[in-house]
Parts: sequence; structure tokens; C-alpha cells
Amino acid sequence: MTVEQFYDYICGDYAGTKGRLMTDERILRFVNKFPADGSYQLLLDSLDSANVEEAFRAAHTIKGVAQNLGFTALYKSSEAVTEILRSGSLDVAAKMPELTKYYNLTIDGIAKLNA
Amino acid sequence: MFSDMVKNKVLIVDDSSMNRSILSDILGDEYEILEASDGLEAIDILSKEGDNISLMLLDIVMPRMDGFSVLSKMNENHWIENIPVIIISSENASLYVERAYDLGALDYIQRPFDTLVVRRRSQNTIMLNGRKKSVGNSNENKLSRNIQNLNTVIDLLTNLIERKKVDISGHTENVCAITDSILNNLGGISFKYKLTEEDIATITIASALRDIGIFGVDEKFLMSDTDEAIAEIRKHTLIGAEMLTKLNDETNPLIQRAIEITRSHHERWDGKGYPEGLKGDRIPISAQVVALADTYDSLTNKKINSQAITHEEAINKIMNGECGAFNPVLMIVLKSIADTLPAKLK
Repeated sequence: MTVEQFYDYICGDYAGTKGRLMTDERILRFVNKFPADGSYQLLLDSLDSANVEEAFRAAHTIKGVAQNLGFTALYKSSEAVTEILRSGSLDVAAKMPELTKYYNLTIDGIAKLNA
Repeated sequence: MFSDMVKNKVLIVDDSSMNRSILSDILGDEYEILEASDGLEAIDILSKEGDNISLMLLDIVMPRMDGFSVLSKMNENHWIENIPVIIISSENASLYVERAYDLGALDYIQRPFDTLVVRRRSQNTIMLNGRKKSVGNSNENKLSRNIQNLNTVIDLLTNLIERKKVDISGHTENVCAITDSILNNLGGISFKYKLTEEDIATITIASALRDIGIFGVDEKFLMSDTDEAIAEIRKHTLIGAEMLTKLNDETNPLIQRAIEITRSHHERWDGKGYPEGLKGDRIPISAQVVALADTYDSLTNKKINSQAITHEEAINKIMNGECGAFNPVLMIVLKSIADTLPAKLK
């Protein structure tokens, strides 16, 4: 799988990301660091323990990282969750499945990219 | 000199290690990078390193201590006076931007990070702050006093010009701010106009004098819109340049720039402007930038234009050529800094 095919697979924006980060090599370096970022797990844990502030920061971090890496679908779904948590509400049940779907798709894509 | 070989230190403060490593990758060639994963760590590094930090890139939303609290702490300790801060965040709500500026942040970079923008804004902010430090240096106090005096005289002139034109005050300051911002970002987009920091500072000050020739236009024409009055008012360009030429100080860069700007700030890129109908880069770059800055503020400034339009609309109109004809390179620069302008203008 090429970097471009990877972005298609995860519904991301290859052209925009390449325009900003300039080289495939740099993009790849950061994409490969993504699975080690603990924010998604932190989000799940904070939702379990009803810690809305921590959950907000975790969702916000996923959003920021996804935006920087041009993971458009994950960015949009984490943005939706971030905005609910920002208002102080933990009522994210309707929006979490989408975020989880694209998070898993991204992790899966990275595995395929390195296969 | 030995000190030239030491890299400037940049402190990156962001709770996401991914974001820190992207920034550090973008800036790592040019600077020595220090990293902090929240506000408390940042304060800890600042208290050890102090002025050795040439620039801080600061995220807003962080655990333990957020970016606003870091800025407050930097104000308390007077660090903010010597360590420039650029805010980096996806929070583009104007409230966030405004609050960060109020707390002393100098610039604002939005996610997603763009390699060239991050590099250029970091470089500019470090350069500008270096200039401020050298002016503030104690053995240059005399120079600093002279600069303050000059600024006072220019403020006074600006005030007079604005009264004469029945403008509301603030427009000139806005034009200065936009001019400064365009010039500081021009180098990142085009290598054609080799402007030094000194040139940029001089052009920015000189922009305030662009309409000084209005004092040589008969009062009766100023409030009129007959063909005769319009022709007379247009002469303010040549009259202003003549007033400055008569100072017999043309080797002074400030006067040189002021002459270029007063004479040519109503020229158009397509050659349809006045007084000389100069075309393209035959118009001095200083006058080109001031003309664009003037147009932009006139379109968006509610104090001088009762039908002011939004910043986005103004950029679109200018890009579409609906408000004059400008150098395409300058329009690209204006568009690239558009998101930072509203917070800089009065």
C-alpha cells in the first residue's frame, strides 16, 4: 500500500497533508507514531470513570493529531465528540461509534501500510 | 562570531507528543528544541532557562496547567517581555485568539500545521523580538529615546492627517499593522523583494505619512466630489512627495521610503492608477504594500466605512480584482495572513 492509498483507505486527505508536511517520508514517520499515542485509550477510560475534563482533553488531542495528519474522517468524528464534552456533557453515546470506527480503520490502515 | 554558531532555543509546549514531534521535526534543523508536555513543565523550563529561550510555541488545551495560565504566569514574572510566544491550537474561535493576544502572545498558528507557515512565523517572531531587545539594551538608551521621539512626532502628524480627512482615528495604525504583517510574510513566499528587517520597520513607519500631501490641497476641495475637486485631491500624492523632497534629507531611508509611498500609493498594478500610471513592479514595493493595506482596512473597518464588510468578504473581493489591481504575490501573502489580521486591528 502506498501512502496515498493509505489515505484513501482511511478517508483522509493525502493531497492537503502532502502540501503541508511536504514529503512522504515525514508523513510516514508521524503516521507510524500514531498507534502509540494513548489518547484514544485515555478517552475510553475517562468516559468509563465519568471524568468529563480528562475525556475532553483526550478527545481534543485526538482531534488535533488527526487534523495535523490529515485523517479527515477521524478528525470530524473526534470533533463532534470534543464539542459535546466541551459543554460539560458526557452524553457522547451517539457520536462515539463513529469515532471508534474511524480510529480502528486508521490503526488497521497503518498495519496494512507496513505489511 | 562564536555566538552566531549557537542555535536559538525554541520551547514547544503541547500535551500531545505527536504534535510536539511534528513541530520539532519542522523546526529541528534550524533551532535547538526543548519540549514540555504541559504548563507546569513549561514554567519549570522557563524558570531555569529564562531569556535563553528565543521562542515558545504554546498549546492552549493541556492537563494540569493550560496555555492561558502559562501566559498569566509569564506576565506575573515579567518573562513575557523577553520571551516571545506563538499560540498553536485548533481553537480558532476569536475569543481564544483575542484572550491569548491580550495576555501577550505575539502570533497565532492554527492547526493543521503547515511546514512553511510554522517556519516563517517562528523566524519572524524571533527576528522581531531580537530587534526589540537590541533597542531596549541599556547602552542604546539614547537611540531608544530618539525612536520614541520619532514615534511621537509621527503620531502627531497622523492625528493631523486624520483630522484633515475627517477620518476616524485608528485607520493609520491599522494600515501600519497590515503593512508590517504583509512585509514580514512576503519573504516566505517570494525572494524577489529582498527586504531587510530595517527596510520593513522603515516602510511600516513611513506608511503613516502617505497622505501628508493633503495639507497642500485647498480645503474647499476636500468635501467636494466634482471632477475638479477629484483632480485636485489626487495631487496630494505629488504634493506629499514634494514636501518630503524639500527636507533635503533624501539619503535618510525613512524619507526615501516616505517619498516612494506618498507618491505612488494610488498607483495600480495594471497601470490604471495615479499620478504616473506606473505598472507592475515599476511601482515601488513599499507603495504597493501600503495601497493593499489601505484598501483592506477601508473595506473592513467599521469606524471609517458604514458599509464595512467581513474580513473573508474583503479578501475575496480583493482576490477577485473588485477593489483595485494588486500584485498577485502580495494578494497571496494577504490571504495567507488573513486569519491573523482581525485580532491585530482596531
